[in-house]
Amino acid sequence: MLIRSALFVLCAGTLAAWWLTSPTELSVDDLPPHTSDPLAGERIFWAGGCASCHATPVDGKRAQGESKLLLGGGLELDTPYGLFRVPNISAHPEDGIGAWSTIEFVNAMQHGVSPRGKHYYPSFPYASYARMAVEDVMDLDAYLRTLPPVAGRVAEHELGFPWSLRRGLGLWKRLYLDPTPVVAVDSADALLLDGRELVEGAGHCGECHTPRDRFGGLLGESWLAGAPNPEGKGRIPNITPAGKAIADWSQRDIEYYLESGFTPEFDTVGGSMVAVQENLARLTPADRQAIAAYLKAIPAVD
Amino acid sequence: MLKTIRRFSVFFAAIAVLSPTFAADDPIEKRHELMEDVGKAAKPVGLMLRGDSEYDWAVVLTSLNTFEGASKHFGDLFPAGSETGGDTEAAPAIWDDREGFDEALAMWRDATQDAIAAQPQTLDTARPVLGGVFKTCKNCHDGYRIEDE
Repeated sequence: MLIRSALFVLCAGTLAAWWLTSPTELSVDDLPPHTSDPLAGERIFWAGGCASCHATPVDGKRAQGESKLLLGGGLELDTPYGLFRVPNISAHPEDGIGAWSTIEFVNAMQHGVSPRGKHYYPSFPYASYARMAVEDVMDLDAYLRTLPPVAGRVAEHELGFPWSLRRGLGLWKRLYLDPTPVVAVDSADALLLDGRELVEGAGHCGECHTPRDRFGGLLGESWLAGAPNPEGKGRIPNITPAGKAIADWSQRDIEYYLESGFTPEFDTVGGSMVAVQENLARLTPADRQAIAAYLKAIPAVD
Repeated sequence: MLKTIRRFSVFFAAIAVLSPTFAADDPIEKRHELMEDVGKAAKPVGLMLRGDSEYDWAVVLTSLNTFEGASKHFGDLFPAGSETGGDTEAAPAIWDDREGFDEALAMWRDATQDAIAAQPQTLDTARPVLGGVFKTCKNCHDGYRIEDE
């Protein structure tokens, strides 16, 4: 009797764990009617800074200029969880994602699931991309298809136990993968809505500027309030209206910084923000204005 | 108690007065001061480029002269032994790749001298020339400055 109950609990437990860790994804029928526009996707590409991680480094350095469009991957991210290797997302049919369907791309970007149904690690910031408009993701898909295929598969990540158990990410997603916007803004204000989508979604600003809990989930109550630098020492600054880094900056100052890389005191942008700023410089003035307006409107966190 | 505090204040005031004389020989302090001057000179020009103030060639020229002077001497302020200390943001690359650092400084000097020679009298003609100067700031900071974010 005891054995039977124990077996029952074990089976139920396994089933529950299986269900809790299984991936959730969309099917083709869930996609909205939308004709993908590669030109619109190019805007998303720069807003998201895809090249900053996925462009193959040149001579061990960050890719510059045209080589930012060669998305063969290979950058290594050395983190407390282990070594992440950034994959090839070029249009190469075998080594990259050229053979993927649009729905496979959308599921990767917004649900963190590979075409073979495996979870991606959140080092790929799909928890932010989940907040993007699906149409924007479809446009990005169309744009990536216009870029050159790059041969060469990148090796697997090397992670320590228990992070090496991919299946466990299903639980992580149940806790932290949430497509609802972080900050409530006036729904009549088109500029703020645009800014929110760029910052919270494609731009994935929160991934570095927001502190995390012990399981790596972002702390919503400290949204953009600064966090330890994931790439080394120091801190990523607080960019809420209370953050001393930009509290005195006008909305115009923020726009100009994102456009030119110069602070209001005409010092230059530094650290990992250099690459981000160079990408955002490729957006339209209206997009940078939207980002700046949003940053001025979010809750001030000390 | 009050007396102790007073005595301490005198002590610290003395340090405050004396320390600049010590600092004058300190290359780290000197390069900080020089960069401060450069930043102050950059601001009015930057505001013109932003379109937030009226273009004024005389003001621009004063700033460019500050840049030119600084660009010629800045490289001398990184002798061996000044790699660390104070709150220096100098990156090890300055000493590991001295040639590259000197080249970055030369780019700054050349762009500045080009701008002085061009004497742009309007914002439209000044934009590309001064943009070229400003680009050299970021170029050098990217490779040779440590960021404490």
